[in-house]
Amino acid sequence: MPDLRVLVVDDEVGIRATVSAMLEIEGYAVAEAANGADALAALENDPPDVILLDMRMPVLDGWAFAAEMRRRNHAIPIVVMTAARDAARWAGEVAATAFIAKPFGYDDLIAAVEQASLT
Amino acid sequence: MTALELISLINQVLFIGLFVVVLWHALRRRTRASWNTALLLGGVAVAVALSRVAAWVGLDGAPAVTALTLILLSAVPFAMLRLVDDFSGSPRWVQIAGAVAFLALGMLTVAGMGEVTAPLAVATIGFFAAVGGYAAVVFALESRRAHGITRRRMTAVALGAAVFIAAIVGLFLGVLVEPLGPIVALIAQLLALVAVLAFFLGFAPPAWVRRAWREPDLRRFLERSVHLAGVADEHAAITELERAAAAAFGATGASIGLADADRRIIRYALPAGGWSEFADDVYIAGRAFTQQRRVVAHDAPEADPDHALAYEEAGARTVIGAPITTDDRRIGVLTVYAERAPIFVEDDLWLLELLASQTGLLLEARTLTAHASELRAREDATRLKEEFLSAAAHDLRTPLTVVLGQAELMERRAIRSPERPVDPAGLARIVREARRLRDLVAELLDAQRLEDGRAVLDRSAADVCEVVSAIRDRHAGNGVEISVRCPVEPLVSAIDRPRIEQVLDNLVENALKYGPAGGAPEVAVAHPDGYARISVVDHGVGIPEAERERIFERFYRASNAHDVTDTGLGLGLYICRRIVEEHDGRIRHDETPGGGSTFVIDLPLEPSVETAGEATPDPGLTLPHRISGERVADA
Repeated sequence: MPDLRVLVVDDEVGIRATVSAMLEIEGYAVAEAANGADALAALENDPPDVILLDMRMPVLDGWAFAAEMRRRNHAIPIVVMTAARDAARWAGEVAATAFIAKPFGYDDLIAAVEQASLT
Repeated sequence: MTALELISLINQVLFIGLFVVVLWHALRRRTRASWNTALLLGGVAVAVALSRVAAWVGLDGAPAVTALTLILLSAVPFAMLRLVDDFSGSPRWVQIAGAVAFLALGMLTVAGMGEVTAPLAVATIGFFAAVGGYAAVVFALESRRAHGITRRRMTAVALGAAVFIAAIVGLFLGVLVEPLGPIVALIAQLLALVAVLAFFLGFAPPAWVRRAWREPDLRRFLERSVHLAGVADEHAAITELERAAAAAFGATGASIGLADADRRIIRYALPAGGWSEFADDVYIAGRAFTQQRRVVAHDAPEADPDHALAYEEAGARTVIGAPITTDDRRIGVLTVYAERAPIFVEDDLWLLELLASQTGLLLEARTLTAHASELRAREDATRLKEEFLSAAAHDLRTPLTVVLGQAELMERRAIRSPERPVDPAGLARIVREARRLRDLVAELLDAQRLEDGRAVLDRSAADVCEVVSAIRDRHAGNGVEISVRCPVEPLVSAIDRPRIEQVLDNLVENALKYGPAGGAPEVAVAHPDGYARISVVDHGVGIPEAERERIFERFYRASNAHDVTDTGLGLGLYICRRIVEEHDGRIRHDETPGGGSTFVIDLPLEPSVETAGEATPDPGLTLPHRISGERVADA
């Protein structure tokens, strides 16, 4: 699915690198942010088509980021990715299109992003 | 009739009235003390009645009447001596001397045919004053020893005895000093009435007086028993309740036996701490418990000769006991004891049952509270375990995601373009995250071992400075310079050395991780009272003040830990704390002046300042350490 831009937001550099590599193989254009604040900055410069969002992050967490994004009138689909047990509930709390629970595999990730990009 | 005569008449009617009440009381109770009380008041009352009757029939002043009056009046000190014995015990010779004096005075009076000669007057006054003074002193001492209602009763009697002496002296003065005769005699009569009233209140207090005197202690008992339901320490609760029960009775002591139905024993709290157990049918308490009825033993050593010595040692001449029962469940037994039977008043058995049932309610409430807190503790333990598992799973998933993802990436790349070389960055990520997983698993297992209390095993004497130096040397090997300050003398503590090294490594690594780049942590060793103190100091980001207590909790990570770099489970400081605590030591966090963290570990020094291993210095260099006997509980 070329030309779709995905923003990967996670405080773990290993996760960002892995997710980015998977998405790039599938032809997505990927940008990275280490927390919610960086992600908001990226949103202004180059709005993505899908956001992959970790929830527990320093500086600005996933909830605060999602709220601020909506306040700024962006309607970008969000895919929550978290290692927490409450992945589904948290996804509901930020009105995410989909969620993937860590540890997720290649196919899980791609399926979730594709689903989000169709909405 | 003059005013004087009217007052005198009222006074005399009161004397007789009191006597009737006390006599009625004695007829019902039939105890030695109640007979003696009746004798005491009877002597006065009959003498008064006699003089009235004599006046009516025109026989006043007749020698026979005077003689009889004197004999009746000397029954008063005689009875008082017997009462002293009843309430406090007095030497046998005092009793005999009293009886002899009573008889001698009686014979002298009869021999003199009612003529009050000077020697007889002096002897009579002497007898009255000696006995009154003796009784006043004995009862005053007794009142100082006693509590509650008994103290009030003894005080009343002591006052009565003192006033009684004044009354007797007044009576004789009235006879001797003619012009003032009637007034002095009246004052003496009034004083005598006060004395008799005091005796009445002390020796045979009526119900409303008993209630009033007992009320404060009873109220205290009830209040305490409500509070004690929530006191965790069973021993403390029981002994306090026993004290409160004894006070409510004004008794020497009380004991609460707790029954264990399965083992058929009753256990008692020992005053010095701990418990003693007896078969559930021994002692008078055992009788009350097994027969499920109240028991009164006026003479406990006689009633239970097998344990006579035990009763005497406890000062338990008289014992009353009642079973403690709720809803047909036999909980235990309450006994109250005193050195003298008359200490107990008429309705004490009723009071005993009231206190026994109140105690039963309290014990039942305590059992329920204990059950509830046990359940809560179990729930807490389960919840902690769940939180532990969930947090552990969370922290394991992140590196696992990277390992799995990178491996899948490689697999796909290998299938799509087998000719391309393997991505070295991806491989490095897999290795790094797999190592992180390994460390996390080790950390988890370590925390679990500490939780089970089987982490600190072999403790042996070691010089803390030497351990610190070893840590410094190891880091120096990796190119990290740690500055170490140690006192000259060795500080020997009994430690599990690998564990303490683990703590120090952890703190030093934290200091490196959170300290400024290139900044070297400092380690200082000192020895405040009885402890070897190791401080690990960095000048890094520090820890927000509000979180300094919590950082030693399991899974807690300071909110600013993310800002630096974070790979841990939040177990490091928890593990440190557990290890230090297992060494009977303590760990805390201080702010480094100018910013940063200082972790302070105190390890107890060996009581004998010996040195470990071969590093034995000249004993002359070893400073004496002040060893504090008390260990400070950690905050």
